[in-house]
Amino acid sequence: MTGMEEYQNGSEGAFNSEETDGIVKECIENVVAGDDYSQGQVNKWTASIVERCLTQLVKQGKPYKYIVTCAVMQKTGAGLHTANSCYWDTAMDGSCTVRWENRTMYCVVSVFAVAIA
Amino acid sequence: MSDLPKDKSQKREKGKAPSEGSHGVRGKKTPGRTKDSISTTSCIDELGHHEDNTRITMENTYQLGPLKRFPVSAVTDILKDVLTSYLQEEKYEVEWSQKMTKTICEVIRARVKDLMIPRYKTVVLVHIGQRTSQSMQISSRCLWDATNDTFTSYSLRTALCLVWQLSTLFTLSESRRQ
Repeated sequence: MTGMEEYQNGSEGAFNSEETDGIVKECIENVVAGDDYSQGQVNKWTASIVERCLTQLVKQGKPYKYIVTCAVMQKTGAGLHTANSCYWDTAMDGSCTVRWENRTMYCVVSVFAVAIA
Repeated sequence: MSDLPKDKSQKREKGKAPSEGSHGVRGKKTPGRTKDSISTTSCIDELGHHEDNTRITMENTYQLGPLKRFPVSAVTDILKDVLTSYLQEEKYEVEWSQKMTKTICEVIRARVKDLMIPRYKTVVLVHIGQRTSQSMQISSRCLWDATNDTFTSYSLRTALCLVWQLSTLFTLSESRRQ
């Protein structure tokens, strides 16, 4: 019975968005920090950022399904608006959006975590 | 001759035992059920120790996934419908776009919810951008259950709308025993 109790207490409740924020920032900086926007490379960058984020999140070993989205946009003065709406369990599920920029581009990464069980 | 009264008395005694048990039933005036009532009362008398376990305990049953998959084409139609109706012939404006992204998001979520597909959670993401010859790339990756979870997207000029549907797992149909 003690084994059962430990399992139930190990879920730690809601999604920790601060921790995820840190993980995502680190992933973005590892991929595009110091680079200028390049049409040829952007495909590779976005794929690399999402894969790294996903791998790091999975390493935490929490019982969540993840959706990671990355948008990289060249800085030309154009506007971009992003919104999200979710139908889920507000106690257990959560999201985290990180905005990062450098001289030539914007990078917006959203992580949505949906609890299993 | 002497045997007859003994037999009669024995019969009466036999007749007494069940009749004591079935007094209550006879009080209810259900003559048709006397045979059944006799058998149940005799069981209780013989197996009195079963009183503690009269509640039957069932094993937990689990539903591991949704019974019905999400209709992807219905959701794509919703996206197309909402985006064309809200963004038809509109020009980019900062405040209007801010409000529009939120509104479109919520409208899509409400319509997908109206489909009433049980055991699914939904995430809707909307991007609206200005067309000024800039370049942009959007990618996404998901860690999910490939058999049950789906994703659809629709784009109209510079508005991109993404919708993910994730199935929920593991709802216990009975409360956990402690």
